[in-house]
Amino acid sequence: MRALDLRLVASALAGATIFWPASPAGATLRVFSCESEWAALAAALGGDQVEAYSATSARQDVHYIQARPSLIAKLRRADLLICSGADLEIGWLPVLLRKASNAKVQPGQPGHVDVSKIVPMLDVPSRVDRSEGDIHPYGNPHTQTDPHNIALVATELSHRLERIDPKQAGFYRQRSSEFADRWQKAIASWEARAAPLRGMKIITHHVAWVYMAHWLGLEVVGHLEDKPGIPPTAGHLADLLAGLRDQKVELIVRSTYQPERPSEWLSGRSGIPAVVLPHTVGATEGAKDLYSMFDDMLERLLEARRP
Amino acid sequence: MNLDALDLSILGPAMLAGLLVLATHVPMGREVLVRGIIFIDLAVAQISGLGVIAADRMHLELAGYGVEIAAGVAAISGALVLSWLERRFPEVQEAFIGVVFVLAATGGILLLADNPHGGEELKDLLVGQILWVDFSSLGPVALLYAGVLAVWFGARERLGRHGFYLLFAVTVTASVQLVGVYLVFASLIVPGLATRGMPARSGLAWAYAVGAAGYALGLLASALLDLPTGAMIVWALAAVASVLVLRGPR
Repeated sequence: MRALDLRLVASALAGATIFWPASPAGATLRVFSCESEWAALAAALGGDQVEAYSATSARQDVHYIQARPSLIAKLRRADLLICSGADLEIGWLPVLLRKASNAKVQPGQPGHVDVSKIVPMLDVPSRVDRSEGDIHPYGNPHTQTDPHNIALVATELSHRLERIDPKQAGFYRQRSSEFADRWQKAIASWEARAAPLRGMKIITHHVAWVYMAHWLGLEVVGHLEDKPGIPPTAGHLADLLAGLRDQKVELIVRSTYQPERPSEWLSGRSGIPAVVLPHTVGATEGAKDLYSMFDDMLERLLEARRP
Repeated sequence: MNLDALDLSILGPAMLAGLLVLATHVPMGREVLVRGIIFIDLAVAQISGLGVIAADRMHLELAGYGVEIAAGVAAISGALVLSWLERRFPEVQEAFIGVVFVLAATGGILLLADNPHGGEELKDLLVGQILWVDFSSLGPVALLYAGVLAVWFGARERLGRHGFYLLFAVTVTASVQLVGVYLVFASLIVPGLATRGMPARSGLAWAYAVGAAGYALGLLASALLDLPTGAMIVWALAAVASVLVLRGPR
Protein backbone atom coordinates (compact mmCIF):
# COMPACT_ATOMS: atom_id res chain seq x y z
CA MET A 1 0.00 0.00 0.00
CA ARG A 2 2.72 2.36 1.06
CA ALA A 3 4.82 1.57 -1.98
CA LEU A 4 1.80 2.07 -4.19
CA ASP A 5 1.19 5.49 -2.66
CA LEU A 6 4.78 6.50 -3.24
CA ARG A 7 4.61 5.32 -6.83
CA LEU A 8 1.43 7.35 -7.31
CA VAL A 9 3.05 10.45 -5.90
CA ALA A 10 6.12 9.91 -8.01
CA SER A 11 4.14 9.53 -11.21
CA ALA A 12 2.00 12.53 -10.32
CA LEU A 13 5.16 14.58 -9.85
CA ALA A 14 6.52 13.30 -13.14
CA GLY A 15 3.25 14.30 -14.80
CA ALA A 16 3.43 17.73 -13.21
CA THR A 17 6.92 18.35 -14.54
CA ILE A 18 5.71 17.60 -18.06
CA PHE A 19 3.06 20.27 -17.75
CA TRP A 20 5.27 22.72 -15.91
CA PRO A 21 5.85 25.60 -18.32
CA ALA A 22 9.37 25.10 -19.53
CA SER A 23 11.42 28.27 -19.62
CA PRO A 24 13.65 28.74 -22.65
CA ALA A 25 17.27 27.92 -21.94
CA GLY A 26 19.02 30.80 -20.21
CA ALA A 27 15.90 32.97 -19.96
CA THR A 28 16.30 35.33 -17.06
CA LEU A 29 13.71 38.06 -17.53
CA ARG A 30 9.96 37.62 -17.65
CA VAL A 31 8.19 40.36 -19.59
CA PHE A 32 4.44 40.85 -19.19
CA SER A 33 3.00 42.96 -21.98
CA CYS A 34 -0.57 44.17 -22.29
CA GLU A 35 -0.57 44.01 -26.10
CA SER A 36 1.00 41.66 -28.64
CA GLU A 37 3.11 44.35 -30.34
CA TRP A 38 5.06 45.09 -27.17
CA ALA A 39 5.62 41.39 -26.49
CA ALA A 40 7.01 41.12 -30.02
CA LEU A 41 9.27 44.11 -29.40
CA ALA A 42 10.54 42.69 -26.08
CA ALA A 43 11.28 39.38 -27.79
CA ALA A 44 13.08 41.17 -30.63
CA LEU A 45 15.26 43.13 -28.18
CA GLY A 46 15.78 40.50 -25.51
CA GLY A 47 16.29 37.44 -27.68
CA ASP A 48 16.66 34.31 -25.58
CA GLN A 49 17.34 36.35 -22.43
CA VAL A 50 13.65 37.30 -22.30
CA GLU A 51 10.43 35.35 -22.01
CA ALA A 52 7.68 37.62 -23.35
CA TYR A 53 3.99 37.08 -22.62
CA SER A 54 1.05 39.06 -23.96
CA ALA A 55 -2.08 39.44 -21.83
CA THR A 56 -4.30 40.07 -24.84
CA SER A 57 -4.38 38.25 -28.12
CA ALA A 58 -4.14 40.02 -31.46
CA ARG A 59 -7.80 39.37 -32.19
CA GLN A 60 -9.06 40.83 -28.93
CA ASP A 61 -10.32 44.31 -28.13
CA VAL A 62 -7.75 45.40 -25.54
CA HIS A 63 -10.19 47.81 -23.92
CA TYR A 64 -11.93 44.78 -22.41
CA ILE A 65 -10.54 41.54 -21.05
CA GLN A 66 -11.92 38.56 -19.12
CA ALA A 67 -10.18 37.75 -15.84
CA ARG A 68 -8.24 34.48 -15.80
CA PRO A 69 -6.17 33.20 -12.86
CA SER A 70 -3.10 32.89 -15.08
CA LEU A 71 -3.05 36.67 -15.69
CA ILE A 72 -2.48 37.29 -11.98
CA ALA A 73 0.07 34.46 -11.76
CA LYS A 74 2.01 35.77 -14.78
CA LEU A 75 2.10 39.36 -13.55
CA ARG A 76 3.13 38.23 -10.08
CA ARG A 77 6.24 36.56 -11.55
CA ALA A 78 7.04 39.28 -14.08
CA ASP A 79 10.25 41.31 -13.99
CA LEU A 80 8.98 43.95 -16.39
CA LEU A 81 5.62 45.18 -17.61
CA ILE A 82 5.06 47.06 -20.85
CA CYS A 83 1.69 48.53 -21.85
CA SER A 84 0.33 51.15 -24.22
CA GLY A 85 -0.96 53.21 -21.31
CA ALA A 86 -2.97 56.44 -21.67
CA ASP A 87 -5.91 54.64 -20.04
CA LEU A 88 -6.19 52.03 -22.83
CA GLU A 89 -6.06 49.26 -20.21
CA ILE A 90 -7.86 51.29 -17.52
CA GLY A 91 -10.62 48.70 -17.28
CA TRP A 92 -8.36 45.89 -16.07
CA LEU A 93 -4.70 46.78 -15.57
CA PRO A 94 -4.99 48.75 -12.30
CA VAL A 95 -6.96 45.97 -10.62
CA LEU A 96 -4.59 43.35 -12.05
CA LEU A 97 -1.58 45.29 -10.69
CA ARG A 98 -3.24 45.46 -7.30
CA LYS A 99 -4.07 41.74 -7.28
CA ALA A 100 -0.60 40.71 -8.40
CA SER A 101 1.06 42.97 -5.78
CA ASN A 102 4.43 42.70 -7.50
CA ALA A 103 6.57 45.65 -6.41
CA LYS A 104 8.87 45.38 -9.45
CA VAL A 105 6.20 46.31 -11.98
CA GLN A 106 4.25 49.01 -10.13
CA PRO A 107 4.06 52.47 -11.76
CA GLY A 108 7.22 54.48 -11.21
CA GLN A 109 9.48 51.42 -11.02
CA PRO A 110 12.08 50.64 -13.72
CA GLY A 111 10.07 47.49 -14.41
CA HIS A 112 6.99 49.47 -15.43
CA VAL A 113 7.11 50.73 -19.02
CA ASP A 114 4.25 53.01 -20.07
CA VAL A 115 4.47 53.62 -23.82
CA SER A 116 2.31 56.74 -23.67
CA LYS A 117 5.03 58.40 -21.56
CA ILE A 118 7.68 57.68 -24.20
CA VAL A 119 6.15 58.64 -27.54
CA PRO A 120 4.68 62.00 -28.59
CA MET A 121 0.94 61.66 -28.06
CA LEU A 122 -1.67 62.79 -30.58
CA ASP A 123 -5.28 63.80 -29.92
CA VAL A 124 -4.55 65.09 -26.43
CA PRO A 125 -7.73 67.00 -25.63
CA SER A 126 -7.38 70.56 -24.41
CA ARG A 127 -10.46 69.95 -22.32
CA VAL A 128 -11.92 66.63 -21.19
CA ASP A 129 -15.65 66.51 -21.63
CA ARG A 130 -17.32 63.23 -20.85
CA SER A 131 -20.12 63.93 -23.32
CA GLU A 132 -17.64 63.67 -26.18
CA GLY A 133 -17.35 59.91 -25.93
CA ASP A 134 -14.53 57.59 -25.03
CA ILE A 135 -11.95 60.37 -24.96
CA HIS A 136 -8.62 59.54 -23.43
CA PRO A 137 -7.42 62.54 -21.41
CA TYR A 138 -3.79 61.50 -22.00
CA GLY A 139 -4.25 61.32 -25.78
CA ASN A 140 -4.91 58.56 -28.24
CA PRO A 141 -3.33 55.33 -26.94
CA HIS A 142 -3.10 53.45 -30.28
CA THR A 143 0.48 54.60 -30.82
CA GLN A 144 1.96 51.41 -32.32
CA THR A 145 0.81 52.08 -35.89
CA ASP A 146 3.67 54.56 -36.46
CA PRO A 147 7.06 52.77 -36.72
CA HIS A 148 8.89 55.87 -35.44
CA ASN A 149 7.08 55.30 -32.15
CA ILE A 150 8.24 51.67 -32.12
CA ALA A 151 11.81 52.94 -32.48
CA LEU A 152 11.44 55.29 -29.49
CA VAL A 153 9.92 52.55 -27.36
CA ALA A 154 12.69 50.13 -28.40
CA THR A 155 15.38 52.50 -27.12
CA GLU A 156 13.65 53.04 -23.79
CA LEU A 157 12.73 49.38 -23.35
CA SER A 158 16.34 48.39 -23.94
CA HIS A 159 17.50 50.90 -21.28
CA ARG A 160 15.07 49.35 -18.83
CA LEU A 161 16.24 45.81 -19.63
CA GLU A 162 19.83 46.97 -18.99
CA ARG A 163 18.81 48.47 -15.64
CA ILE A 164 16.90 45.43 -14.46
CA ASP A 165 19.44 42.89 -15.69
CA PRO A 166 22.80 44.73 -15.52
CA LYS A 167 24.80 41.53 -16.01
CA GLN A 168 23.45 41.27 -19.56
CA ALA A 169 23.61 45.03 -20.27
CA GLY A 170 26.15 44.59 -23.05
CA PHE A 171 23.99 41.98 -24.75
CA TYR A 172 20.89 44.23 -24.67
CA ARG A 173 22.88 47.26 -25.87
CA GLN A 174 24.19 45.37 -28.85
CA ARG A 175 20.83 43.93 -29.83
CA SER A 176 19.22 47.33 -29.40
CA SER A 177 21.67 49.01 -31.76
CA GLU A 178 21.29 46.20 -34.31
CA PHE A 179 17.50 46.51 -34.09
CA ALA A 180 17.67 50.30 -34.45
CA ASP A 181 19.80 50.03 -37.61
CA ARG A 182 17.58 47.47 -39.22
CA TRP A 183 14.41 49.30 -38.17
CA GLN A 184 15.55 52.66 -39.59
CA LYS A 185 16.31 50.99 -42.92
CA ALA A 186 12.88 49.34 -42.88
CA ILE A 187 11.22 52.69 -42.14
CA ALA A 188 13.00 54.25 -45.10
CA SER A 189 11.78 51.50 -47.43
CA TRP A 190 8.22 51.68 -46.08
CA GLU A 191 8.13 55.43 -46.53
CA ALA A 192 9.37 55.10 -50.11
CA ARG A 193 6.67 52.52 -50.88
CA ALA A 194 3.95 54.57 -49.21
CA ALA A 195 4.81 57.82 -50.95
CA PRO A 196 1.91 57.53 -53.44
CA LEU A 197 -0.53 57.23 -50.54
CA ARG A 198 0.25 60.72 -49.24
CA GLY A 199 -2.83 62.93 -49.04
CA MET A 200 -5.26 60.00 -49.40
CA LYS A 201 -8.54 60.54 -47.53
CA ILE A 202 -9.76 57.70 -45.36
CA ILE A 203 -12.57 56.90 -42.95
CA THR A 204 -11.74 54.67 -39.98
CA HIS A 205 -13.98 52.58 -37.76
CA HIS A 206 -12.47 53.51 -34.39
CA VAL A 207 -9.90 56.27 -33.71
CA ALA A 208 -7.24 53.54 -33.82
CA TRP A 209 -5.37 54.74 -36.92
CA VAL A 210 -4.45 58.35 -36.26
CA TYR A 211 -0.76 57.54 -35.76
CA MET A 212 -0.54 55.63 -39.05
CA ALA A 213 -2.39 58.46 -40.81
CA HIS A 214 -0.04 61.02 -39.26
CA TRP A 215 3.00 58.96 -40.31
CA LEU A 216 1.93 58.38 -43.92
CA GLY A 217 0.31 61.78 -44.43
CA LEU A 218 -3.19 60.35 -44.81
CA GLU A 219 -6.19 62.48 -44.00
CA VAL A 220 -8.79 60.94 -41.66
CA VAL A 221 -12.04 62.64 -42.64
CA GLY A 222 -14.37 60.69 -40.37
CA HIS A 223 -14.94 57.74 -38.06
CA LEU A 224 -17.68 55.13 -38.24
CA GLU A 225 -17.99 55.51 -34.49
CA ASP A 226 -19.35 59.03 -34.08
CA LYS A 227 -18.04 59.04 -30.55
CA PRO A 228 -15.17 56.65 -29.84
CA GLY A 229 -16.32 53.47 -28.12
CA ILE A 230 -19.99 53.92 -29.01
CA PRO A 231 -21.27 51.68 -31.83
CA PRO A 232 -22.15 53.59 -35.02
CA THR A 233 -25.74 54.86 -35.14
CA ALA A 234 -27.88 54.76 -38.27
CA GLY A 235 -28.09 58.55 -38.37
CA HIS A 236 -24.34 58.99 -38.16
CA LEU A 237 -23.74 56.44 -40.94
CA ALA A 238 -26.26 58.30 -43.12
CA ASP A 239 -24.44 61.59 -42.41
CA LEU A 240 -21.13 60.00 -43.34
CA LEU A 241 -22.62 58.63 -46.54
CA ALA A 242 -24.00 62.05 -47.48
CA GLY A 243 -20.64 63.67 -46.74
CA LEU A 244 -18.80 61.15 -48.92
CA ARG A 245 -20.19 62.65 -52.11
CA ASP A 246 -18.38 65.95 -51.60
CA GLN A 247 -15.10 64.49 -50.42
CA LYS A 248 -12.99 62.06 -52.39
CA VAL A 249 -12.64 59.41 -49.71
CA GLU A 250 -10.68 56.43 -50.99
CA LEU A 251 -10.70 53.86 -48.19
CA ILE A 252 -12.65 52.68 -45.16
CA VAL A 253 -10.24 51.24 -42.57
CA ARG A 254 -10.91 48.96 -39.60
CA SER A 255 -8.95 46.65 -37.27
CA THR A 256 -9.41 42.89 -37.18
CA TYR A 257 -11.28 42.88 -33.87
CA GLN A 258 -13.91 45.35 -34.99
CA PRO A 259 -17.24 44.22 -36.43
CA GLU A 260 -17.33 44.25 -40.22
CA ARG A 261 -20.94 45.25 -40.71
CA PRO A 262 -20.67 49.07 -40.36
CA SER A 263 -17.75 49.39 -42.77
CA GLU A 264 -19.25 46.87 -45.22
CA TRP A 265 -22.55 48.77 -45.05
CA LEU A 266 -20.85 52.05 -45.91
CA SER A 267 -18.66 50.40 -48.53
CA GLY A 268 -21.65 48.73 -50.20
CA ARG A 269 -23.55 51.99 -50.47
CA SER A 270 -20.68 54.24 -51.43
CA GLY A 271 -18.59 51.91 -53.58
CA ILE A 272 -15.51 52.86 -51.55
CA PRO A 273 -13.41 49.78 -50.70
CA ALA A 274 -13.23 48.67 -47.06
CA VAL A 275 -9.92 47.29 -45.81
CA VAL A 276 -8.86 45.43 -42.66
CA LEU A 277 -5.39 46.40 -41.41
CA PRO A 278 -3.21 44.63 -38.83
CA HIS A 279 -3.08 46.85 -35.73
CA THR A 280 -0.70 44.48 -33.96
CA VAL A 281 1.52 41.45 -34.48
CA GLY A 282 -0.66 38.43 -35.25
CA ALA A 283 -3.75 40.40 -36.21
CA THR A 284 -3.49 39.19 -39.80
CA GLU A 285 -1.81 36.10 -41.18
CA GLY A 286 0.90 38.24 -42.77
CA ALA A 287 1.76 40.16 -39.58
CA LYS A 288 4.15 37.59 -38.05
CA ASP A 289 6.49 40.12 -36.43
CA LEU A 290 6.83 43.89 -36.24
CA TYR A 291 8.49 44.09 -39.68
CA SER A 292 5.90 42.01 -41.48
CA MET A 293 3.12 43.86 -39.64
CA PHE A 294 4.08 47.13 -41.36
CA ASP A 295 4.81 45.27 -44.64
CA ASP A 296 1.30 43.81 -44.52
CA MET A 297 -0.28 47.13 -43.51
CA LEU A 298 1.25 48.93 -46.50
CA GLU A 299 0.56 46.01 -48.87
CA ARG A 300 -3.12 46.10 -47.91
CA LEU A 301 -3.35 49.90 -48.24
CA LEU A 302 -1.71 49.87 -51.68
CA GLU A 303 -3.72 46.83 -52.81
CA ALA A 304 -7.09 48.32 -51.80
CA ARG A 305 -6.29 51.45 -53.71
CA ARG A 306 -5.37 49.71 -56.98
CA PRO A 307 -8.17 50.00 -59.54
CA MET B 1 -2.16 22.96 -18.29
CA ASN B 2 -1.11 25.84 -16.17
CA LEU B 3 0.00 24.99 -12.67
CA ASP B 4 1.34 28.47 -11.87
CA ALA B 5 -2.16 29.76 -11.38
CA LEU B 6 -2.98 27.15 -8.72
CA ASP B 7 -2.22 29.65 -6.00
CA LEU B 8 -4.36 30.06 -2.92
CA SER B 9 -3.72 33.80 -2.80
CA ILE B 10 -5.18 34.08 -6.31
CA LEU B 11 -8.08 31.64 -5.99
CA GLY B 12 -8.78 32.11 -2.26
CA PRO B 13 -10.57 35.49 -2.34
CA ALA B 14 -12.68 34.34 -5.29
CA MET B 15 -13.68 31.15 -3.47
CA LEU B 16 -14.58 33.13 -0.37
CA ALA B 17 -16.68 35.54 -2.47
CA GLY B 18 -18.42 32.51 -3.97
CA LEU B 19 -19.19 31.03 -0.54
CA LEU B 20 -20.58 34.39 0.62
CA VAL B 21 -22.85 34.62 -2.41
CA LEU B 22 -23.97 31.01 -1.97
CA ALA B 23 -24.79 31.58 1.72
CA THR B 24 -27.67 33.89 0.82
CA HIS B 25 -28.54 32.83 -2.70
CA VAL B 26 -29.06 29.11 -2.11
CA PRO B 27 -31.95 29.51 0.36
CA MET B 28 -33.42 32.42 -1.62
CA GLY B 29 -33.11 30.44 -4.85
CA ARG B 30 -35.22 27.62 -3.45
CA GLU B 31 -37.89 30.21 -2.57
CA VAL B 32 -37.64 31.84 -6.02
CA LEU B 33 -38.18 28.44 -7.65
CA VAL B 34 -41.25 27.78 -5.49
CA ARG B 35 -42.70 31.16 -6.43
CA GLY B 36 -41.89 30.65 -10.10
CA ILE B 37 -40.12 33.99 -10.52
CA ILE B 38 -36.88 32.68 -12.01
CA PHE B 39 -35.76 35.78 -13.85
CA ILE B 40 -36.37 38.22 -11.04
CA ASP B 41 -32.67 38.47 -10.24
CA LEU B 42 -31.87 39.53 -13.79
CA ALA B 43 -34.57 42.20 -13.58
CA VAL B 44 -33.36 43.46 -10.19
CA ALA B 45 -29.72 43.52 -11.37
CA GLN B 46 -30.65 45.44 -14.47
CA ILE B 47 -32.70 47.96 -12.45
CA SER B 48 -29.80 48.56 -10.07
CA GLY B 49 -27.59 49.19 -13.11
CA LEU B 50 -30.14 51.66 -14.39
CA GLY B 51 -30.03 53.40 -11.00
CA VAL B 52 -26.27 53.92 -11.31
CA ILE B 53 -26.64 55.37 -14.80
CA ALA B 54 -29.48 57.66 -13.74
CA ALA B 55 -27.49 58.97 -10.78
CA ASP B 56 -24.59 59.59 -13.12
CA ARG B 57 -26.81 61.49 -15.55
CA MET B 58 -28.07 63.66 -12.73
CA HIS B 59 -24.41 64.45 -12.05
CA LEU B 60 -24.51 63.05 -8.55
CA GLU B 61 -20.97 62.44 -7.40
CA LEU B 62 -20.60 58.69 -7.15
CA ALA B 63 -17.60 58.61 -4.86
CA GLY B 64 -17.04 55.99 -2.16
CA TYR B 65 -20.19 54.02 -1.63
CA GLY B 66 -22.25 56.32 -3.92
CA VAL B 67 -22.46 53.71 -6.64
CA GLU B 68 -23.65 51.06 -4.21
CA ILE B 69 -26.23 53.41 -2.71
CA ALA B 70 -27.62 54.43 -6.11
CA ALA B 71 -27.77 50.79 -7.17
CA GLY B 72 -29.41 49.76 -3.89
CA VAL B 73 -32.06 52.51 -3.96
CA ALA B 74 -32.96 51.64 -7.54
CA ALA B 75 -33.10 47.92 -6.80
CA ILE B 76 -35.34 48.47 -3.77
CA SER B 77 -37.71 50.69 -5.77
CA GLY B 78 -37.77 48.06 -8.49
CA ALA B 79 -38.46 45.33 -5.95
CA LEU B 80 -41.44 47.28 -4.58
CA VAL B 81 -42.84 47.61 -8.10
CA LEU B 82 -42.33 43.87 -8.73
CA SER B 83 -43.97 43.04 -5.41
CA TRP B 84 -46.96 45.22 -6.29
CA LEU B 85 -47.18 43.55 -9.71
CA GLU B 86 -47.24 40.13 -8.05
CA ARG B 87 -50.24 41.16 -5.95
CA ARG B 88 -52.03 42.93 -8.78
CA PHE B 89 -51.39 40.48 -11.67
CA PRO B 90 -50.35 37.14 -10.10
CA GLU B 91 -51.22 35.14 -13.22
CA VAL B 92 -48.84 37.01 -15.55
CA GLN B 93 -46.11 37.88 -13.09
CA GLU B 94 -43.27 36.20 -14.98
CA ALA B 95 -44.25 38.15 -18.10
CA PHE B 96 -44.12 41.41 -16.15
CA ILE B 97 -40.68 40.52 -14.79
CA GLY B 98 -39.54 40.04 -18.39
CA VAL B 99 -40.98 43.39 -19.43
CA VAL B 100 -39.35 45.15 -16.46
CA PHE B 101 -36.03 43.52 -17.41
CA VAL B 102 -36.05 44.74 -21.03
CA LEU B 103 -37.26 48.19 -19.98
CA ALA B 104 -34.42 48.55 -17.49
CA ALA B 105 -31.85 47.22 -19.96
CA THR B 106 -32.93 49.41 -22.86
CA GLY B 107 -33.52 52.38 -20.55
CA GLY B 108 -29.80 52.18 -19.79
CA ILE B 109 -28.97 52.25 -23.50
CA LEU B 110 -31.16 55.30 -24.04
CA LEU B 111 -29.69 57.17 -21.07
CA LEU B 112 -26.18 56.30 -22.20
CA ALA B 113 -26.66 57.22 -25.85
CA ASP B 114 -23.81 59.71 -25.53
CA ASN B 115 -21.87 58.51 -22.50
CA PRO B 116 -19.60 55.52 -22.99
CA HIS B 117 -17.96 55.79 -19.58
CA GLY B 118 -21.29 55.00 -17.97
CA GLY B 119 -21.44 52.10 -20.40
CA GLU B 120 -18.27 50.63 -18.96
CA GLU B 121 -19.68 51.14 -15.49
CA LEU B 122 -22.86 49.31 -16.45
CA LYS B 123 -20.89 46.51 -18.02
CA ASP B 124 -18.78 46.10 -14.88
CA LEU B 125 -21.93 46.12 -12.81
CA LEU B 126 -23.48 43.30 -14.83
CA VAL B 127 -20.47 41.22 -15.72
CA GLY B 128 -18.53 41.78 -12.47
CA GLN B 129 -15.34 39.73 -12.34
CA ILE B 130 -15.06 37.36 -9.42
CA LEU B 131 -11.29 37.04 -9.82
CA TRP B 132 -10.65 40.73 -9.13
CA VAL B 133 -12.28 40.47 -5.70
CA ASP B 134 -9.99 41.07 -2.74
CA PHE B 135 -10.44 40.40 0.93
CA SER B 136 -11.03 44.05 1.84
CA SER B 137 -14.05 44.30 -0.47
CA LEU B 138 -15.57 41.18 1.08
CA GLY B 139 -15.89 42.66 4.57
CA PRO B 140 -18.89 44.95 4.00
CA VAL B 141 -20.70 42.26 1.98
CA ALA B 142 -20.10 39.69 4.73
CA LEU B 143 -21.64 42.09 7.26
CA LEU B 144 -24.63 42.79 5.02
CA TYR B 145 -25.19 39.08 4.35
CA ALA B 146 -24.95 38.22 8.05
CA GLY B 147 -27.84 40.62 8.56
CA VAL B 148 -29.77 39.21 5.61
CA LEU B 149 -29.32 35.63 6.84
CA ALA B 150 -30.36 36.59 10.39
CA VAL B 151 -33.60 38.06 9.03
CA TRP B 152 -34.12 35.18 6.61
CA PHE B 153 -33.74 32.35 9.10
CA GLY B 154 -34.94 34.31 12.15
CA ALA B 155 -38.00 36.21 11.00
CA ARG B 156 -39.03 34.39 7.85
CA GLU B 157 -42.73 34.10 8.79
CA ARG B 158 -43.10 37.79 9.54
CA LEU B 159 -41.35 38.91 6.35
CA GLY B 160 -44.36 38.88 4.06
CA ARG B 161 -44.21 39.51 0.33
CA HIS B 162 -42.76 43.04 0.48
CA GLY B 163 -40.17 41.88 2.97
CA PHE B 164 -39.02 39.06 0.69
CA TYR B 165 -38.65 41.35 -2.30
CA LEU B 166 -36.73 43.98 -0.31
CA LEU B 167 -34.35 41.45 1.17
CA PHE B 168 -33.86 39.90 -2.25
CA ALA B 169 -33.14 43.27 -3.88
CA VAL B 170 -30.49 44.18 -1.32
CA THR B 171 -28.85 40.74 -1.56
CA VAL B 172 -28.71 40.63 -5.35
CA THR B 173 -27.46 44.20 -5.70
CA ALA B 174 -24.46 43.37 -3.55
CA SER B 175 -23.71 40.03 -5.19
CA VAL B 176 -24.00 41.27 -8.77
CA GLN B 177 -21.29 43.83 -8.12
CA LEU B 178 -19.12 41.15 -6.57
CA VAL B 179 -19.39 38.27 -9.02
CA GLY B 180 -21.56 39.42 -11.94
CA VAL B 181 -25.01 38.61 -13.14
CA TYR B 182 -24.30 35.21 -14.72
CA LEU B 183 -22.85 33.79 -11.51
CA VAL B 184 -25.64 35.33 -9.45
CA PHE B 185 -28.25 33.67 -11.63
CA ALA B 186 -26.43 30.32 -11.55
CA SER B 187 -25.84 30.44 -7.76
CA LEU B 188 -29.51 31.24 -7.20
CA ILE B 189 -31.15 28.76 -9.53
CA VAL B 190 -28.83 25.79 -10.16
CA PRO B 191 -28.45 24.44 -6.59
CA GLY B 192 -32.17 24.93 -5.97
CA LEU B 193 -33.05 23.16 -9.20
CA ALA B 194 -30.75 20.24 -8.42
CA THR B 195 -32.39 19.70 -5.01
CA ARG B 196 -35.99 20.29 -6.03
CA GLY B 197 -38.37 17.93 -4.26
CA MET B 198 -35.97 17.13 -1.43
CA PRO B 199 -37.14 17.76 2.14
CA ALA B 200 -36.46 21.32 3.34
CA ARG B 201 -33.52 20.62 5.64
CA SER B 202 -31.54 18.01 3.74
CA GLY B 203 -32.43 19.76 0.49
CA LEU B 204 -30.83 22.97 1.74
CA ALA B 205 -27.72 21.08 2.87
CA TRP B 206 -27.37 19.36 -0.51
CA ALA B 207 -27.94 22.66 -2.32
CA TYR B 208 -25.12 24.29 -0.34
CA ALA B 209 -22.88 21.30 -1.14
CA VAL B 210 -23.64 21.56 -4.87
CA GLY B 211 -22.87 25.28 -4.82
CA ALA B 212 -19.57 24.95 -2.93
CA ALA B 213 -18.38 22.02 -5.08
CA GLY B 214 -19.32 23.91 -8.24
CA TYR B 215 -17.34 27.02 -7.26
CA ALA B 216 -14.31 24.97 -6.16
CA LEU B 217 -14.23 22.86 -9.33
CA GLY B 218 -14.88 25.88 -11.55
CA LEU B 219 -12.02 27.85 -9.99
CA LEU B 220 -9.63 24.92 -10.35
CA ALA B 221 -10.65 24.28 -13.94
CA SER B 222 -10.29 27.96 -14.81
CA ALA B 223 -6.78 28.02 -13.33
CA LEU B 224 -5.66 24.78 -14.97
CA LEU B 225 -7.21 25.38 -18.38
CA ASP B 226 -6.54 29.15 -18.43
CA LEU B 227 -10.16 30.04 -19.16
CA PRO B 228 -12.30 32.99 -17.93
CA THR B 229 -13.25 32.27 -14.33
CA GLY B 230 -16.88 33.39 -14.05
CA ALA B 231 -18.03 31.45 -17.08
CA MET B 232 -16.11 28.34 -16.01
CA ILE B 233 -17.78 28.34 -12.57
CA VAL B 234 -21.23 28.55 -14.16
CA TRP B 235 -20.48 25.40 -16.18
CA ALA B 236 -18.97 23.61 -13.17
CA LEU B 237 -22.10 24.39 -11.11
CA ALA B 238 -24.26 22.90 -13.85
CA ALA B 239 -22.02 19.82 -14.08
CA VAL B 240 -22.11 19.16 -10.32
CA ALA B 241 -25.88 19.69 -10.28
CA SER B 242 -26.34 17.22 -13.14
CA VAL B 243 -24.35 14.58 -11.28
CA LEU B 244 -26.56 15.05 -8.20
CA VAL B 245 -29.77 14.89 -10.25
CA LEU B 246 -28.68 11.72 -12.08
CA ARG B 247 -26.88 9.87 -9.29
CA GLY B 248 -27.76 11.49 -6.00
CA PRO B 249 -30.27 10.69 -3.26
CA ARG B 250 -33.89 10.77 -4.30
